[in-house]
Amino acid sequence: MSDGYHRAHRVLPEAAELLVLAAAALLFALGFAPAAASRRNLLVQGGTGMVATAAIAVVPTFDLALLTIVGLGVMQAGIPGKRTLAVRLRAPVLAVAVLAFALVFLRVEGPAVLERFAAVGLVAGLAAAVGLFPYIHPFAADEPVAASPIVWIAFVGPVLAAVVLSRAEGLLSVDAGQALAAMLIGLGVINMAWGSIASWLTDDTAAAWRYSFLADWGLVLCGFGLTLSDGRRAALLVLFGIVVGRLPLYLVSREPRAERVTSEGPINLVVAAALAGSAPFVGFAARVLLLRGATQLFWPLALVLALGMLLWLPGSLRLGRSLGRPRGRQAFGVALAVAVNVAAGLYPLPLLAAAKL
Amino acid sequence: MIEGFAGFVAWLGASVVVLSDGRRGLALGAALSTLALAAIVFSGAGPVAGIALGVGGLTAAARRLTVGVAGWGIMPPGSTPRFILCVGGGLLALWIALGVTSGHSSALRFAVITVAGLAGARVLSSGESSVLLTSVALLALATAAASGLTEEALAIWPYVGAAAIAAGVGWLPQSAPRAA
Repeated sequence: MSDGYHRAHRVLPEAAELLVLAAAALLFALGFAPAAASRRNLLVQGGTGMVATAAIAVVPTFDLALLTIVGLGVMQAGIPGKRTLAVRLRAPVLAVAVLAFALVFLRVEGPAVLERFAAVGLVAGLAAAVGLFPYIHPFAADEPVAASPIVWIAFVGPVLAAVVLSRAEGLLSVDAGQALAAMLIGLGVINMAWGSIASWLTDDTAAAWRYSFLADWGLVLCGFGLTLSDGRRAALLVLFGIVVGRLPLYLVSREPRAERVTSEGPINLVVAAALAGSAPFVGFAARVLLLRGATQLFWPLALVLALGMLLWLPGSLRLGRSLGRPRGRQAFGVALAVAVNVAAGLYPLPLLAAAKL
Repeated sequence: MIEGFAGFVAWLGASVVVLSDGRRGLALGAALSTLALAAIVFSGAGPVAGIALGVGGLTAAARRLTVGVAGWGIMPPGSTPRFILCVGGGLLALWIALGVTSGHSSALRFAVITVAGLAGARVLSSGESSVLLTSVALLALATAAASGLTEEALAIWPYVGAAAIAAGVGWLPQSAPRAA
């Protein structure tokens, strides 16, 4: 069986767009990283990650994409950090092993149930690579960003998900494709609940930020799982929000301050609104599309998603407050991230058109 | 016949990696698995692919001989669960490769499943960097070998990429965990 790549040698439009967004996030990180951080290290490490992420999108076979993930995992594990080599290597290696099994099951001749096992492998491998429930990567709050799991969940993950899931469409039969979609929705709802509740209740603010990425990924998985154009559009907009909204705000929140105070000023409320996906930010457009798609597919699912979306509020208020009172360069970074999210929320069509959605 | 023997050697090599803590044992296991995978790939994907895989894996094995915990360290005390994993994993892979699936190369199916499975399991169960990096090298080789299962024209790039990763992974800087 073809692995789907050979049918289309060109780069997937969604992946290309997400690559551009990842490059923009890298530039943001270079401009607004904490003053104490080494720009040179960040440029070298981020640039290497950028090249590897691009390679995942452009390589002509699935096997090469998996090998690129192995290479990226090994390179990231080599960056000095707080977690041990074993802890950092486990997730990418597990992901590649599971995805390789899925690929084997897709390629060999055998009973139809093998394709369903392959679908399980694709979802499990994706979750392990990105760091989603039940394969949440261990997190050390004060680890440098380049060495932390945030790289997988907010920088590499969006491109990886777009590539794996769009190729999966060409690989699986209708029956196995439906199983894949159902698993994506189920895992998405669990990640929504787990991420948003943990982001609200966890003691550590840095961990709360990490869990908030997890919650957003729940929406992404649900969007991909809907198998409707609205779902895919919603997934792309949430990924946009992760790469160009949540990640930059997380980077700004890491700026060391003399006093770790929380604040409830207007800027904190605006940031909280952006993180919660309220209007007019891009998260709101994504949620509307997601609910519309879910209603078309199975209306009780839309009800579950709508209730789940309410869980973003307490966690987002907490994260908004954690920014304190941004000043100078930090304030400019926050304003830039918020402005981009508003622009995309008010007029998302160019983003969707660029991805041919 | 030769492919079947190569499949057995691939399992044996991956099992030695699972059962070893010392660098000699790890290097021996990596070399055995590499030679077996290269032989299977050689017959299916051609000499260039086989040689590329062989060179990458043997470079990893040679590097492993010089870095890591000294000695063989094969089946140290407390390794019974690992032994059971090797035997059970091998039997499961054999059943899947011969009983459940079909196609043109059962040896390749068996070798890929058993090497990827045991290497992945070894990474999850060890904290020693020499063990982890040897397992990563084997996983890369098995992933590349899996490209031989496709019915389309085989490209050389997965084999070259896997060889580069296997050969390069041994040189990963071993930095101790530190605070930010």
